[in-house]
Amino acid sequence: MAQGINNEVAIIGMGCTTFGELWDRSASDLMVDAFQEALEDAGIEKKDIDAAWFGTCFDEVNVGKSALSLTKTLKLPFIPATRVENFCASGTESFRGACYAVASGACDIALAMGVEKLKDTGYGGLPDFGNLLGSQNRAIFANLTAPGGFAMLATAYFDKYGLSPEEGKRALAHISSKSHHNGTLSPKAHLRSEVSIEKIMNAPIIAWPLGLFDCCGVSDGAACAIVCRASRASEFRKDPVYVKGLQIAVTSGEEMAHQKWDGTHVIPTYRAGCAAFKEAGITNPREEISMMEVHDCFSITELSTYEDLQISPRGKAVEDIEAGFFDLDGTIPCQTDGGLKCFGHPIGASGIRMIYEEYKQLQGKAGERQVASPRIGLTHNLGGFPCMSVVSVAVFGNTL
Amino acid sequence: MTYNKPLPKINADTKEFWNGCKQHLLKIQKCGDCGFVRYPPSFICPRCHSTETEWIVAAGKGSVYSFTVNHVAFHPAFQEDLPYVVAVVQLEEGPHMLTNIVGCDLSEVRCDMPVEVAWEAITGEFSLPKFRPVL
Ligand SMILES: [Zn+2]
Repeated sequence: MAQGINNEVAIIGMGCTTFGELWDRSASDLMVDAFQEALEDAGIEKKDIDAAWFGTCFDEVNVGKSALSLTKTLKLPFIPATRVENFCASGTESFRGACYAVASGACDIALAMGVEKLKDTGYGGLPDFGNLLGSQNRAIFANLTAPGGFAMLATAYFDKYGLSPEEGKRALAHISSKSHHNGTLSPKAHLRSEVSIEKIMNAPIIAWPLGLFDCCGVSDGAACAIVCRASRASEFRKDPVYVKGLQIAVTSGEEMAHQKWDGTHVIPTYRAGCAAFKEAGITNPREEISMMEVHDCFSITELSTYEDLQISPRGKAVEDIEAGFFDLDGTIPCQTDGGLKCFGHPIGASGIRMIYEEYKQLQGKAGERQVASPRIGLTHNLGGFPCMSVVSVAVFGNTL
Repeated sequence: MTYNKPLPKINADTKEFWNGCKQHLLKIQKCGDCGFVRYPPSFICPRCHSTETEWIVAAGKGSVYSFTVNHVAFHPAFQEDLPYVVAVVQLEEGPHMLTNIVGCDLSEVRCDMPVEVAWEAITGEFSLPKFRPVL
């Protein structure tokens, strides 16, 4: 019977670039910077790495297919290297490859790198999904956009729980305002200004009810992690961070076709959360999680994730939001570094950037935004639309 | 008048649906084994995996399940339509259909609002099933 990888894997080094409009730096530059920081943090040399995983989403606008660009850029010495792509979970997917490699005993030390350069494409949102959406783009996708797909999640949620548009938008604005505040304390973030609830509520509409500040930014960035077997972690550092659970759930397609889904939440988030909590031995997430980084591509995504991860009871997220439960000084601070809202979303890098924040928080090295005595951190990625998605949930701790 | 937006691409699964649309008939599928009524078109029943399929003509009536109003076009051809409503309509027969709501003021659209199909003939080959409020 499978046991999972709880406490089998330790993170011994991480690196993360500043995120932003990095016109003057290539994807290779970003990888080198993230890798250098991680090597120094782990106190190892390049030759100590046995295998590498590389997460990047859009090979058309980035670094091309395969893991060649990783191994050539970092001059890795003829080791196994694998490129992975799994929508917005691509970064966490590369981390999963590295973790499984050391958990299995196949490797002593493995590297996970995620990178994406999006600003050069000249596009404000994600690159064109035309081919992805396929043959029925007009009828099934009535020019539905990414903001539009998540906006319908908000409309359905407001309707189900009896929120007026004003009440619903105010709760969503609290989420974004909170993240922008945290971003001001986060030196590597792209957007670092306070944004008030009033300004967010009055911003231009992108896809009603979502306005400009309900949507995350687009940016360039890279992040990487070096992992080893937990039993060897003390050889490298006194404060390793342990992987407690790491799960991915990909929809079977039933939300769209089986008509049982009510369109107010994301089933794969619930399923990935359940699997990761089981692996990590967490029975009451609301009591046991210290802080988290969830996939706030849109403010409503963060709201529905609170409930799908069983932090807030169904229909009660708004009460928690307004009570400050997820604020930096709240019970479970969420997006302590500012989240996608402030870092933007270089797709392949985002998952590992989130892990970087949990790693620093669990080591007590998060500076002005440090959470008091954290024990368990969580990261979450959601790729696709609410009705068909790829979701990762990872759980980390600072003790075995 | 030329139509500049992306056109549907017909495949084996969707041919019957688009042929129906051309005649302004909203054709959806019913499983020959378990009776489950489904959309979008698929070769097998997602409930019981049967390949026994019957095409039925939906009444073209339903209600708005959820919606958004797009104020930014992510495809340039839709720029001239802004702002426009994208909605999920729940058909009387059960399935959800992604579509546009037309024929009313944007601010009138609500969840659970009764709607009926409003055909938009875009080319000689294609008509799109959009929906409008039932008066
Ligand atoms: Zn059936």
